[in-house]
Amino acid sequence: MQIDDFPQLASVQQIEQGFESFGYICSTKIATAVFLAFQLRKPILVEGPPGVGKTELAKTTAELLDLPLIRLQCYEGLDEAKALYEWKYGKQLLYTQVLKEKLGDLLKGAKGLAESVERLHQFGDIFYSEDFLEPRPLLKAMQQERGAILLIDEIDKSDYEFESLLLEILSDYQISIPEIGTIKARTSPMVFLTSNNTRDISDALKRRCLHLYIPFPTVELEERIVLSRVPDVDALLRHQLVQFVHSLRQLDLKKSPAISETIDWARSLLLLHSGQLDEELVRSTLNVLLKFEDDIEAADAELRALLNQN
Amino acid sequence: MQSNLVSFIQVLRTHDVRVSPAETLDAMTVATTLGYADRKLLRDGLAMTLAKTPEEEAVFLACFDRYFNQRLSDFARPEQQVDTDSDESSDAEEAAGDSYADQSPADGDNSPLTTAAADNAEIASLLNSDLMQSLVNNDRNALTMAIGSAAETVGLRQIQMFTQKGQYTRKILDAMGEEQLRSAVIALEREDNPALVELQRYRDILREEVRNYVEREYLLHAEGKTRQFMDDILSKTRLNNIEHTYLHKVHELVRKMARKLASRHSRKRRQVKRGQLNMAKTMRRGIANDGVMFDTYWRQTRKEKPQILAVCDVSGSVAAYAKFLLLFLYSLQDVLPKVRSFAFSSHLGEVSSYFDDYPVEKAIELVNWKYGGATDYGSSLQDFARLALDDINSNTTVIILGDARNNNGDPKLEIMQGIYQRARQVLWLNPESRKVWGSGDSEMLRYLSACHFSAECNNLKQLERIVDQLLKSTR
Repeated sequence: MQIDDFPQLASVQQIEQGFESFGYICSTKIATAVFLAFQLRKPILVEGPPGVGKTELAKTTAELLDLPLIRLQCYEGLDEAKALYEWKYGKQLLYTQVLKEKLGDLLKGAKGLAESVERLHQFGDIFYSEDFLEPRPLLKAMQQERGAILLIDEIDKSDYEFESLLLEILSDYQISIPEIGTIKARTSPMVFLTSNNTRDISDALKRRCLHLYIPFPTVELEERIVLSRVPDVDALLRHQLVQFVHSLRQLDLKKSPAISETIDWARSLLLLHSGQLDEELVRSTLNVLLKFEDDIEAADAELRALLNQN
Repeated sequence: MQSNLVSFIQVLRTHDVRVSPAETLDAMTVATTLGYADRKLLRDGLAMTLAKTPEEEAVFLACFDRYFNQRLSDFARPEQQVDTDSDESSDAEEAAGDSYADQSPADGDNSPLTTAAADNAEIASLLNSDLMQSLVNNDRNALTMAIGSAAETVGLRQIQMFTQKGQYTRKILDAMGEEQLRSAVIALEREDNPALVELQRYRDILREEVRNYVEREYLLHAEGKTRQFMDDILSKTRLNNIEHTYLHKVHELVRKMARKLASRHSRKRRQVKRGQLNMAKTMRRGIANDGVMFDTYWRQTRKEKPQILAVCDVSGSVAAYAKFLLLFLYSLQDVLPKVRSFAFSSHLGEVSSYFDDYPVEKAIELVNWKYGGATDYGSSLQDFARLALDDINSNTTVIILGDARNNNGDPKLEIMQGIYQRARQVLWLNPESRKVWGSGDSEMLRYLSACHFSAECNNLKQLERIVDQLLKSTR
């Protein structure tokens, strides 16, 4: 990828503005990370609590650059057959059946075994060629002509072994297939890895990536995000609800409400035609923000105090 | 600037941020790409390549500010001086004495110092020296540079311990030629010259500046080293000899060790049972290939996570060790999720619930308070058998921590043997040195017959090694 290919990524400011035009409000830090990832051709490892827009970052980058987004969702037991490539066994079988007859013609006139083998050798490895290769997300990302955005989601859910599999792809943008050889990316894709930190990622993988930690946003930033996502909420309510979510995050909760929950809540308040927060309203819609019964109970007890803070 | 970046990375390393040479190269590229103009941008960019966890990022940010502030402020100061020239220059001077604020050091034509220089050749030559010039003209830029190069000559970066601060300050002052200034002050003192006060002020400013400089450099270069040194010492000291003031440091250290062990052992446990085909799965996958079964799937068994029962003597003599063992085990929640702990001295009880309800330190305190007392291994083992013997199976590791000093009571060895037969392994950790096992009222040698493994365990290093082994053997 060259700079001139993507004027959208020419500077940090431009990236910030570009993201904003697609409704993704980000801090300068995030824009810097994208800028550097593009300049240095390094993958970004995005960490942070769930719901702060890690996956969204990759999606928006894909929209901004108008490139295909190829997503690989990690889970326990994910292996190379599902992530890299697989041979089309069915097709291989079918072809061997069909071509069986052809073999007779081909070997006609050959004297002895040695000559037959000699003739067969001339055809190379037909069945193990790219025609019989079923590309999975990682290989697919390498094959895109204009490059692609590769999103490897929730890498921490995958097995330890899978990380090692990624190393070659992430540092050299190539895949080794034993039967064929090494396939290099036509245009190196831009890679985003996300992690929820349920376990530690190996140092080898971390070393190859830019490390971006997205925390919960500041009040101002979050208000801008709500404004861009739910523009119909009026200013007073927007301020109140963001303040309330921020004070909720101070509590000791199992899962603090993230940006996505704030947006959902803003939407639901809009649907309820409410102009401002009051205790009854908050109590009845608390389940949009908090996903655990314990959390809801804990917040319920503190509700009045929290609302008075604002 | 490049060498600056490299020495900054050196600083990061002493603060426990691991930076590989490849990352150093990356950092260089980042710096060139982003440019040095926007400091915040550069900081964010470098943070992404150099720091790998949120904790490291915090360390990075602190170091970055400390390291680059002093350098960049060199360039900021002259402007500031232009702005504030009328109201008498920089902060250090204000600190030196407000009464002199109305005296402009720059136009010192009519100051007593010039008068003194007129009659005294020594002072005149002093006034003409570079050092004095920069002090008199308030040229902070030149002064900082002079301090910097003097620091370079005396090798300030080798500073190791905080006790060396004074020594280095002296060395730098000497290298800058402060001696001349000092002797001039003495001379003026003798003469009782009015210029004395002013010259003293310059001397104090200089000393203050150098002291600050050394302090900053110490924080950058040596704080990490001192801490590493300290950690090293602490991990080799007998745990009950560690002074109370260092306890919180030990806690941190234990957590650090536990994190290390956890990441080493956090790989998933799964085992393929060779020889047992998973027929259903193999057939299902074969459908895509016209029913030809290319891929074979073998039955897998997931190994059960180990269960650990920790039995700790919390009587006076061993309490300190029990504390750290428990701290260790509970810091390993990620890899050892099923730890049940029991505490005893005269009788035994399960204390796991304390650890669920309170933070570890608090829980340990409560346990000590509840179960401390004179030791009776016999009845404690009886209690343990009643509480937990039924739960011990081939997946259980029992760790006993105690000095096996039973005050000449009945050791109830048969219960130990019962545990030994049922459990996957029994470990006995004894804080006493192996040589005294079995001496006096110690029943250790008899209990040994009912242990798979026994070890001496009285400092953090040994503890770490044992827990490491434990994690390995429970896989």
